[in-house]
Amino acid sequence: MLSRLAESLYWAARNVERAEDLARLIDVTAARSVDRAIDAESRWQAVYDVAGIVPHSDDGPDRGGAIERIVFDGDSSASIAGCIRIARRNAIGVRAELTTEIWECVNTLYLFAESQSARAVGPDGVSSFLRAIRESAQAFGGICDATLAHEDTWLFLRIGRFLERAAMTTRVLRGLEDDAGPHVWQLVLEACCASEPYARARQQSFDPAEALGFLVLSASFPRSVRFCVREVDEALHRLSGAPSGTFANAAERTSGRLASSLAFTGTAELCAEGAAGAAARIGRELEELGAAITAAYFPRIPVG
Amino acid sequence: MRSILDRYAPAPAFDEFAGDDGRPRPYYEALAATLEGISSTDFRHRVTRINDVLLRRGVTFTVYSDARGTERILPFDLIPRIVPASDWNGISRGIAQRVRALNAFLVDVYGEARCLRDGVVPRELVYSCPHYERESIGVRPPRDVYIHVSGIDLIRDAHGRFLVLEDNVRTPSGISYVLENRDVLKRSFPRLFEGYDPLPVDDYPRRLRDALLASAPAHVGDPVIALLTPGIYNSAYFEHTLLARRMGVELVEGSDLFVRDNMVYAKTTRGPQRVDVIYRRVDDDFIDPLYFRADSTLGVPGLFDAYRAGNVTLANAVGTGVADDKAIYMYVPAMIRYYLGEEPVLENVPTYDCSVDEQRSHVLANLDSLVVKRTSASGGYGMLIGPMSTAAQRAEFADAIRAKPREFIAQPVVTLSAHPTVVEDGLAPRHVDLRPFALLAGDRVDVPPAALTRVALVEGSLVVNSSQGGGSKDTWVLGD
Repeated sequence: MLSRLAESLYWAARNVERAEDLARLIDVTAARSVDRAIDAESRWQAVYDVAGIVPHSDDGPDRGGAIERIVFDGDSSASIAGCIRIARRNAIGVRAELTTEIWECVNTLYLFAESQSARAVGPDGVSSFLRAIRESAQAFGGICDATLAHEDTWLFLRIGRFLERAAMTTRVLRGLEDDAGPHVWQLVLEACCASEPYARARQQSFDPAEALGFLVLSASFPRSVRFCVREVDEALHRLSGAPSGTFANAAERTSGRLASSLAFTGTAELCAEGAAGAAARIGRELEELGAAITAAYFPRIPVG
Repeated sequence: MRSILDRYAPAPAFDEFAGDDGRPRPYYEALAATLEGISSTDFRHRVTRINDVLLRRGVTFTVYSDARGTERILPFDLIPRIVPASDWNGISRGIAQRVRALNAFLVDVYGEARCLRDGVVPRELVYSCPHYERESIGVRPPRDVYIHVSGIDLIRDAHGRFLVLEDNVRTPSGISYVLENRDVLKRSFPRLFEGYDPLPVDDYPRRLRDALLASAPAHVGDPVIALLTPGIYNSAYFEHTLLARRMGVELVEGSDLFVRDNMVYAKTTRGPQRVDVIYRRVDDDFIDPLYFRADSTLGVPGLFDAYRAGNVTLANAVGTGVADDKAIYMYVPAMIRYYLGEEPVLENVPTYDCSVDEQRSHVLANLDSLVVKRTSASGGYGMLIGPMSTAAQRAEFADAIRAKPREFIAQPVVTLSAHPTVVEDGLAPRHVDLRPFALLAGDRVDVPPAALTRVALVEGSLVVNSSQGGGSKDTWVLGD
């Protein structure tokens, strides 16, 4: 496959995943911060931090400003609208690699996000707008899995999707205070769509350490960092044909090492480091992995 | 219920649908019967829905004159244009003949140049053509094929006679609309097909691939084809992606390729991969900055050397633009007689060459009744339509013609044939043309029954180009 196309696939998938995760995070934060038990301002600040956007100094981190800047701001490449625009731009570049159903999904998502009628929802309609974005983004993943041959094109999409998902989970955890209470933890679990799976897995009273362990170390929950890194590692090995547990390039060495370390870490160890500290460290390791993938497969300037 | 056909009044031109008696022509009767049963409201809803489908699919082109690079769908008109077998047989024979002659001309003009010595085509016309590529002299493309893909624009005069309006033998586009229009119409309006079995268009990509493979460099066993696009901002990018997908070949940009030891390679995630045939949708000027425009970022440095060494097929070959120059056009009937020893099946529109003194005087004296075109322009740009022009526009063209007569030709206004087309309040006649595509594989010309009908949506307009507010129709070529 052309390196340029591989790179566009990777970024298309990363940006669709990011749009989905941001949509979920904002929707959950907007709903949860209605409760008095939640300090809305600090939660919205955390959302800004996850998105990598700095609030305007005069409007401070609140719901209206966050929705304006993080959902709709088309000029930003970090907002949901921006991610969708970049995802589509990359999808156009690889149009010939994608099935028509995948392309129509991205294009429809873009046309929806840009349409005046979708945007004119008013503050109370944002939730349904975000749900539509999330569902389209999820459909993208499903259509990719179900309509592409599971070969290189699909593998690069998969690498992008799971690397971004792992990174988003660490970004959400990074904003947690050491003394975060059960309400905040509940919000974080929901933001990662982990609330119900967690409840099912741990049928006992809430424990922050268990929640942290679930979001980072679960072997079977598809948004845990460990699960996502393993997917990236497997996809990289399938690309090169190198057996798992070995490496053919620096990307596989980085992913293999990170996957092993997550597989052999215990919850207690993680808690000793603290949620925010551990998430920040793992986040840096994921950035190294991204850089190693770029160096191995598309040593060019990114598109977008 | 008011039918969509109720108020259709045939045009004061050759009407494709209605005969002289105002009744549908025999091959339109079944369609007319179906249309009788459809209300205007139903029709309008379908138009809206189909345009939504096309937008979602991304069947768009980019408007260059619009600084924001706006994407627009080429308006699709629901009423299909029907070409009966009797017409199509003549068309396909005429197109095949014309393409063989044009290819023979290119082999000659970059080879022995017999036609210039024998005075078939004026030497100065060839040498002054901006698309005559001196670099190509003496370079023989694989199997002597220059024009792998062409699109020949036909119009019909008041008597219904098909005439060639212009040849497009560089990088003609439009086939994606043919493929999409048929697919969309079948999905959204299957009833219209009742009583018809138009020849299928969807094997065009396979036929294109066969033609490209047939002219691969002789020594290559299992040729690798790539489609070279100028990139996502090109107005025909959608078409490039569609053809690449349907042919199953890689869609590459210039920066994806490199040349080493006169061989062309693609940069892939598994290292360099050889490329043997390039269907390039990039103009000559931009394919290789070492030989042509040095500021081109769309091309591949060294590509021309690889081509000259016979290691890669470029489709179309370099220098074909001399054959579709609008002044050279006048000499195509002569080429047909000279190279093939045949009489032209399809005639030209009468044309005045402004570089010839007496013809120029005639043009200058009759600007208000002629159409003036720039010889090197395309896309409906740089035209003067005499009867619709202002005195100021005519004066401007007159000055330009006197200053650079070689750059202009003129033709009488041919009233294009008209076809029922969806308008605000029903159906009305709008002018149409027809662009069949031809594929040259060795010495065999394939004319697939996949032709593009373009329609001037503005009442009375004779300009069908998509960049100028034209739309398109599904075109049904009927079998024998």
